[in-house]
Amino acid sequence: MPHSERHEELVALLALGAPLGADAAELERHRAEGCPVCEALLAEGREAATALGASVDPAPPPAELRVRILGALGPRRAAPPPATPWRVFAAAAALLLAAVVFDDARLRRDREELRSRSADLAGRLHNAETALAERTLRARVLESDDMQMMRLGGSGPQSGARGMVYWSPKARRGILMAGRLAPLPPDRQYELWVFQNGKPVNAGVFDADASGRAVFESAPFPEAEAQNFAVTVEPRGGMPAPTGPIVLVGAPA
Amino acid sequence: MIPSESDAALMARIEARDARALGELYDRHAPRLLGLARRILGGGGEAEEVVQETFLFAWRSAASYDAGRGAVLTWLLIATRSRAIDRLRARGAGSRPPLRPLEDAGDPPATDDVEASSADREWRAICRSAVGELPAEQRAVLELAYFEGLTQQEIAERTATPLGTVKTRARLGLMKLRERLRPYRRSGTDAP
Repeated sequence: MPHSERHEELVALLALGAPLGADAAELERHRAEGCPVCEALLAEGREAATALGASVDPAPPPAELRVRILGALGPRRAAPPPATPWRVFAAAAALLLAAVVFDDARLRRDREELRSRSADLAGRLHNAETALAERTLRARVLESDDMQMMRLGGSGPQSGARGMVYWSPKARRGILMAGRLAPLPPDRQYELWVFQNGKPVNAGVFDADASGRAVFESAPFPEAEAQNFAVTVEPRGGMPAPTGPIVLVGAPA
Repeated sequence: MIPSESDAALMARIEARDARALGELYDRHAPRLLGLARRILGGGGEAEEVVQETFLFAWRSAASYDAGRGAVLTWLLIATRSRAIDRLRARGAGSRPPLRPLEDAGDPPATDDVEASSADREWRAICRSAVGELPAEQRAVLELAYFEGLTQQEIAERTATPLGTVKTRARLGLMKLRERLRPYRRSGTDAP
């Protein structure tokens, strides 16, 4: 069909992002025939439509939004993983697990403490308009029918640290809630590791707040099943394999 | 003053998984994107979720950014708008915030503090003036489509206008906007 004003009207609506409904097929057919006028109008129209978005007053984002976004990034640029530290790490983790797993009374006490701390943190998040974190947690993990939990105990330089991981194999994501984490130098960050097929896999980096607490949604896990979790201190931005000291480590059920 | 890296250079670093570059891009554009998301969705956490999704999209899909097809800010605004509109549509028509004409919006006192540069302020002023100069009935069609994601039929109903007139106004309005912005068009390698 030859180019007409009608096509330009539909292109304008398309450029504005308005659904075309029944007219969509007609414009698609016309564009499929190859119409340079429509293609040029669409490209320019999209740019012009963006002026509507660019004309809006900016709004200062809350400080935690930046932290949340940078904390949710997946793998970052870093050197390829060395082979040996994996084994050293796994062995250290196994030893620690044995030491912490059977202390039921302490588990219960810590769980209560973590529950209370989690509630406190959840409230603070809510007040700080971190609706994303909460909604994502609920939707992806906490409300999933396959949610699992694992307590993490402090280790090495931070034996007082405590944590709890909630995760969903189906969602392939976890939520870490941690407390009593030590402040880190600006060039260091905490990195969460999920153990899959016996190896630690990077699950994202995060920062603790001034009181040593952190609530962190992990990056997606490559596999569904998680055998264990651990947190290490790494250069800011994270590493593909653990290189720093373990500060939290979990106990497989 | 050290000249800042262009947005396109930041995108290249982001594609190479440099998280600091994403942080810089965020510092530069997050207020604009949050402003847009709030304009579409109103206040509350959803607008921030949209901004988060947009930057995570930029992180994951930096390779899909094509400088030849527009500026980085344009790309980010399109991504923000489409995510915000998806959420608005998911809410259903009953809970759409009322459309707020630009001249009624007022300038927030913090504008100067949150905008990355005087060039950004200038570009916003140009866009605002270009939109403001459109005939009111054409601007209404453009704003209902862009900020509320309405279909042409919905716009016709909302404005009590025949469907054919809505289409004509969309075409003429967008054409005028394009012409008014033509002298300011910049290359895709520079912001905005």
